[in-house]
Amino acid sequence: MSSSLILRAEAIDKSYPGVHALDHVDFDLYEGEVHALLGENGAGKSTFMKILSGSLPKDSGRIFLRGQEVDIVGPYHARELGIGMVYQELSVIPGLSVAENIFLGRLPKRKPLGTVDWSEAMSQAKRILDDLGVDVDPRERVGNLSMGEQQLTEIAKALSMKAQILLLDEPSSALSDEERERLFSIMRGLQERGVAIIYVSHRLVEVPQIGQRVTVLRDGAKVGTLPVDQADEATLIRMMVGRELREKFPKDEIQRGKEILRIQGLTVRGVLNNLNLNLYEGEILGIFGVLGAGRTDFARALFGVDPIDSGEVFLNGRKINISCPSDAIELGLGYLTEDRKDGLILRLTIPANITLASLKRISRLGFLNQGEERATAEKYVKELDIHTPKLDQKVEFLSGGNQQKVALAKWLCSRAKVLIFDEPTRGIDVGAKIEVFRLMNDLAKQGVGIIMLSSELPEVLAMADRILVMAGGSFTAEYARGQASQEDLMRDAVVK
Amino acid sequence: MAKNPSEPRVSALGRVGAWVATPQLRVRLGIRAVLVFAVLLFIYYVSTAPRFFSVTNATNLGARTAPDIILAVGQTMVIIQAGIDLSVGAVLAFSGSLASVAYCYWGLPVWPAMLLGLAAGALLGFINGLIITKGRIPDFIATLGMMVTARGVALILTGGLPVPSHLTAITLKAYLPQEIIWLGSGDILGFPTGALIALLIVAAGWVILMHTGFGRALFAVGGNREAARVSGINVDRTKIMTYTLMGLLAALAGLVLVGRMNSANALMGDGTELQSIAAVVIGGTNLFGGEGGVIGSLLGALIMGILRNVLNLHNMQDFAQRVVMGLLIIGVVLFDQLRRRYGA
Repeated sequence: MSSSLILRAEAIDKSYPGVHALDHVDFDLYEGEVHALLGENGAGKSTFMKILSGSLPKDSGRIFLRGQEVDIVGPYHARELGIGMVYQELSVIPGLSVAENIFLGRLPKRKPLGTVDWSEAMSQAKRILDDLGVDVDPRERVGNLSMGEQQLTEIAKALSMKAQILLLDEPSSALSDEERERLFSIMRGLQERGVAIIYVSHRLVEVPQIGQRVTVLRDGAKVGTLPVDQADEATLIRMMVGRELREKFPKDEIQRGKEILRIQGLTVRGVLNNLNLNLYEGEILGIFGVLGAGRTDFARALFGVDPIDSGEVFLNGRKINISCPSDAIELGLGYLTEDRKDGLILRLTIPANITLASLKRISRLGFLNQGEERATAEKYVKELDIHTPKLDQKVEFLSGGNQQKVALAKWLCSRAKVLIFDEPTRGIDVGAKIEVFRLMNDLAKQGVGIIMLSSELPEVLAMADRILVMAGGSFTAEYARGQASQEDLMRDAVVK
Repeated sequence: MAKNPSEPRVSALGRVGAWVATPQLRVRLGIRAVLVFAVLLFIYYVSTAPRFFSVTNATNLGARTAPDIILAVGQTMVIIQAGIDLSVGAVLAFSGSLASVAYCYWGLPVWPAMLLGLAAGALLGFINGLIITKGRIPDFIATLGMMVTARGVALILTGGLPVPSHLTAITLKAYLPQEIIWLGSGDILGFPTGALIALLIVAAGWVILMHTGFGRALFAVGGNREAARVSGINVDRTKIMTYTLMGLLAALAGLVLVGRMNSANALMGDGTELQSIAAVVIGGTNLFGGEGGVIGSLLGALIMGILRNVLNLHNMQDFAQRVVMGLLIIGVVLFDQLRRRYGA
């Protein structure tokens, strides 16, 4: 590469409790280069970007900017160093104008009173937007813009701070094809001016269109860096998912029983399209999909959290009507939410959380039977091996794995016969993962039907008796156990 | 990628921790010192207040704080489920006035009149709950509207005059009955009735919060509304029930207050909504919901009541008392914040 090295990261390391998020990752970036960064969910892409943009401190490793070592202490510092970040979730303020968003906190002032110099702000914003080739009125409220235009406003904001390095975290995920094309042409324009871009994406097809080189992360470690002409889709998928299954998946063979749940034509307009599935007693049905595929939307619709537009649900052959979660619970459904914090009351104790979905059963005339509550909780703490110094511990002080077990105990306590697990192992360590899988086995043996929604390929492949692949709110493929490879699932999960 | 073994691996957090350790300790000690000073000051003023430890004063104190305590119990429940009720003072005035008007002017017998007042309070609370849940209007706004409205209705009802009064066009049928006066000014074996009712309400509140499914639902809704819903709790029904109960308690406080003053009027209880919130917050209930209890609120109401009483005994004028009460609210909560932040 003829241009000069602008950024070099050496052995960047970062750990969270129980997770080695980045394992001595090396990375380099040249002036005027678009360097794509790929990896599965949880591979460490976002952590790496956050370290470069100063919003997370690294544990160890060194960062060099133009050959000089820097210690990025915070987002402001990163901006001063010329590193601009555009987050996956937009951070624009919808009620303010484009110009105000671009110059947020730095609006040009007019002397002597320090009032805002609006005409200067507008003309400066106009210049930046023109430079980008964006046709947006700086006076327009950002809330009135399309997602793509909002994204461009963010990029304009980063550039207005004289960013020489631009970090784009999945900028295309919310864009239409047309908007994506425009983003790419703008990125090319920036490249010509020497701006270097790190581009995180889930869309493999984009990589050769826009990038020069691509780096793949897996489980926090760098797998390799390739020039794009060597990085065809198959190679990239292999690099992303090609791990050995080091983690244990204790899957037992269980004879499935009769059909317990049937869903016909479940539709939520614009979110879920005509979903059909059936589930049998003792079966673990895996539903695989990447971020935004609609997994959680499906779970919420089925459980009555969000209203559905059409569709029928049958339980044990009988048509049922679920209009709110308490209906679902009454009928014997349980739902472990993707984020544990959405399913637990952190400030309440372990027993209170475990019995939360069974309050009616442990009450007599409205009064809680606290002896029974404690006994029940004690039983589950023992059965699920929940580690806690005392039974009355508030759940917020438990580790992630133990919180997950409390959440699971809640549905065991409610005697759920159909359990929806949304990302059951998200954010818990390997040991706790294996325990959660064991519990899934045990439940299946007792005849519980399990729907396991996951974006983790290995766990879906290893734990599910049957796999449905979800993309863009539809089921795109179905495989029996052992029939699909990781590559198959990834292919079906990528939006065409 | 060789690690350098000589380099100690101190996390950034660890370094930050080491850096603030000493000042943090200092703040912690400071907090305790000020707290001890405040308690000593309080004790000094209480012990030097003329006639504080007299039976008359104790009875007076109990009777005066009773309505505040009753309101604080309801407000605790409302705040635990992450709401707030600004209308309690107005509901108190409306219900108290309604019961009095019904007895003195309309000629209703005493028990139906009192029941009418209580039912009216519960109804207004129910309407609050309905507007908040079905109308999806923030608790603050809905109850602010109710506060103004209920006060207005009370003024219309009483014509802006005290009840009973000879100045109205309607002929006065009776003065306030002994039963209502007994609630606010009577006693049972020497204990002021109002205070006993208040303690009974505190006990009931404690049982509801700690020993019923409804109480558990309040904590769940206030702690994490979404999680409560996903766990099958009917959030709307829980909220409506809470506000209804609050309305009922406001009406009860209204009757006790009317009994103590031997008269009702549409402007009584002005400012008690904020006092009840202050008592709850001083008592340690989290203003954002999910944590707290009625015992703390009882103490909060008592601290405010005792302070007001002591300042009265010291002959401090009302205007200055307001300043002290205001500073008390800020001070207590500020201490609590500092204590949580620095773990003192």
